[in-house]
Amino acid sequence: MIKLPKIHIGKLSLLLAILVWLALLFVDLVKLFAQINGLDQSITSEFSWVLQILFFLMVYGFYKYSIAKNIQNDFLSLIWRGASTSIFAVSVVTLIKVFYSLLGDSRLANEPFLISFFQHVSFALIIIFLISTAILWQHLILYQKNKRVVKQWQAYEIAMLIGMFYTFINEGELGAGYLFMLVLLCGLALILSGNLKWIPYLTFKEKWKSLLFLAVIIIFGTYLFWSESFITSEGGLTNNLFIITLYFFIISYALFSFLVTLFNLPTSSVFEQKLTEAINFQRLSQSIQPGENEDQVLDILLDSCMSAAYADAAWLEMNSEEYPENFTMERFATHQTILELSKLIETQKVTHDWSGKGKPEEIQPLIIRVDHPNFESILLIPLVINKQLIGRMVLCKEVRDGFNKEMVNIISTFVRQACISVENHRLLNQAIENERYREELKIAKNVQKSLLPTQLDHNEQFEIVAYSNAADEVGGDYYDTYKIDEHHYVLIIGDVSGKGTSAAFNMSQMKGIFQSLIQLDLSPSEFMIKANAALGRCLERNHFITASIFYINTSENTVCHARAGHVPTLFYTSKDDKSTYLEIDGLGLGILRNKQYEMHVEEKTFSYSPDDVLVLYTDGIIEAKDEESNQFGFERLRSLLEINNELSPSQLQSKIIDSLHSFVGGDGMVDDDYSLMVVKFIHSGKKD
Amino acid sequence: MLTITSEKENKHDILKLNGEIDASNSVILDEAIQKLAANGSKSILVDGEHLQYISSAGLGVFMSYLEDFQEKEIQLKIFGLSARVYEVFKILGLDQLISIYPTKVEAILD
Repeated sequence: MIKLPKIHIGKLSLLLAILVWLALLFVDLVKLFAQINGLDQSITSEFSWVLQILFFLMVYGFYKYSIAKNIQNDFLSLIWRGASTSIFAVSVVTLIKVFYSLLGDSRLANEPFLISFFQHVSFALIIIFLISTAILWQHLILYQKNKRVVKQWQAYEIAMLIGMFYTFINEGELGAGYLFMLVLLCGLALILSGNLKWIPYLTFKEKWKSLLFLAVIIIFGTYLFWSESFITSEGGLTNNLFIITLYFFIISYALFSFLVTLFNLPTSSVFEQKLTEAINFQRLSQSIQPGENEDQVLDILLDSCMSAAYADAAWLEMNSEEYPENFTMERFATHQTILELSKLIETQKVTHDWSGKGKPEEIQPLIIRVDHPNFESILLIPLVINKQLIGRMVLCKEVRDGFNKEMVNIISTFVRQACISVENHRLLNQAIENERYREELKIAKNVQKSLLPTQLDHNEQFEIVAYSNAADEVGGDYYDTYKIDEHHYVLIIGDVSGKGTSAAFNMSQMKGIFQSLIQLDLSPSEFMIKANAALGRCLERNHFITASIFYINTSENTVCHARAGHVPTLFYTSKDDKSTYLEIDGLGLGILRNKQYEMHVEEKTFSYSPDDVLVLYTDGIIEAKDEESNQFGFERLRSLLEINNELSPSQLQSKIIDSLHSFVGGDGMVDDDYSLMVVKFIHSGKKD
Repeated sequence: MLTITSEKENKHDILKLNGEIDASNSVILDEAIQKLAANGSKSILVDGEHLQYISSAGLGVFMSYLEDFQEKEIQLKIFGLSARVYEVFKILGLDQLISIYPTKVEAILD
């Protein structure tokens, strides 16, 4: 096939149709002229048949193209197009008739050429009406098409095409073959007329309009048929099998549509209702888009439920924390009415039983009767999100017993769906929030890590290692070192009460206090007193910090220390080959927030020799539990040091951590923050 | 797990602690003590016989009432602590500030 540029197809077929029609007119007039003047019939009737068929095809081509281009699946405009064509055709034909009746019996009225001309005009109009309407019907028939209907339609088109050429076979005569074709084509038309799936989708108003348009098509179409046979009384055109069957198809489909639409009228509101419900359900089930909020879903819910139950008024009451005090959404109910009705609802005993009993997810919708001047029946539906009652929806009707089971069912489904949407929305938000918190905690963890020293101050006379592990992302353990001068070093270890983020904040305060106070050249007990005074102003009333501080003097080989409620420090003396806990009294920091604290802190000094080991730690180690809830305990740690005293500090540290983990067992986690600082004295100082 | 039961014996309110006190449930202990103080109790005896463990958060609760009770002249005494739990009080130095007794009788008599 030759592919023509698309835009020209419509215009081209229109032009061709006009040309073919003019040719047909010319040929027929020439024939008429020859007939009147008794000339030799050199032009056979086949010639005008061919032209007729060409005309049919051109009109078909034009409308096929123009309707397909303009169609938007709007049934009403389709039918209107058919109706308007019929109106146009009828008015032109009527004008011709009026013209003739005005002429009366004048010579012009009997002018055969003029009659023939008008015959051709009305012929063209009828063909245009028939073919364009047939194509409109095709669109209606093929609405929601399946394979079977498409096959039927194709069969019909082919049969019609054969019918078009049938004129050549029967040569204008009636016969058995003609009748057979007639019955076959009409039968096919009837079968096709059963495809009326588009009708239920019309709204009530649209149905009325379509009834009107269909009536116009039926009446004007029939009128055209009669007037055409009137004008062309000598047969010729009516005898055409194609035109007759097409007429039959147009009128029968219009009639079927008319009747079905008419009988559909009473139930159309139900279908509309169901369609609205389905659409509402779909709207509710769409998850809430980011940026939208739950109110929109509740809004849709309220409207959907009202329309499903034909309720006269409704409102939503939200009572969960997420909504500001008694958040409500109202429909056709004034604040005053709501108050009155709420009072009436509350006085009913069933309502008390209803909202008070059992799990929220098991509460069923409740229908109650009320005595109110405007409303007589009320439906209460619980809104349950994530197994929590977040509020209720109240639907009111003016009539008594206005809610039936079907309404309650559909409303319950709406409510469930809306609640699921809201729940999903919340879960999504939570997931996003959690993700952000995780990121924040990661940052906090890194910040806290930087608060613990990476370089521990020491000289060649002692070795030192330290380790800290937080149970959560961040923890409350603290250790630090400070170099006063070549021979004077300070070590501190601390433990903030509580765990997690709050402990981590207090731990950073402790770091600040240590780094400030240590500059002041204080003795260990003075340090604790000042730290206590400072922390008394920083810590919440039920928080405290325990700490131990050690001033190492490597020229004197002494350690001066103080303890503030911290677990006693373990000390291994190589001379006795024994490890013991240093005994010294001292109250935790932040417990007594006045001068009295000074009476609760001591300071002691001891000497060390080479190979002595000092183990500073936090209570997470002592309190670590195994599967049977036994604590790691002081004794286990003490003997561990005694046995492994020869190990280097880092080896000793690993040893302690390993035994702690194997004590806790398998993949058990130590449930508290724990820290460890191991100091081993190597060379003695000058005095040695 | 922590369960607290409270009973009145003469002028004394006895709080029985059963289980473990850690950061997650220390608020229950706090509420129990606060309630007794608000009800005008002048002598609160804490029965620690069935207290298996107390974390720093739990100690923080006792600590937070020290000054308050001194002002209001409310006596807070603890008795019956296991050696392990007593050790925790002792290390922190709270044994110096809170009256801790081996038995209920001693706590009442003192």
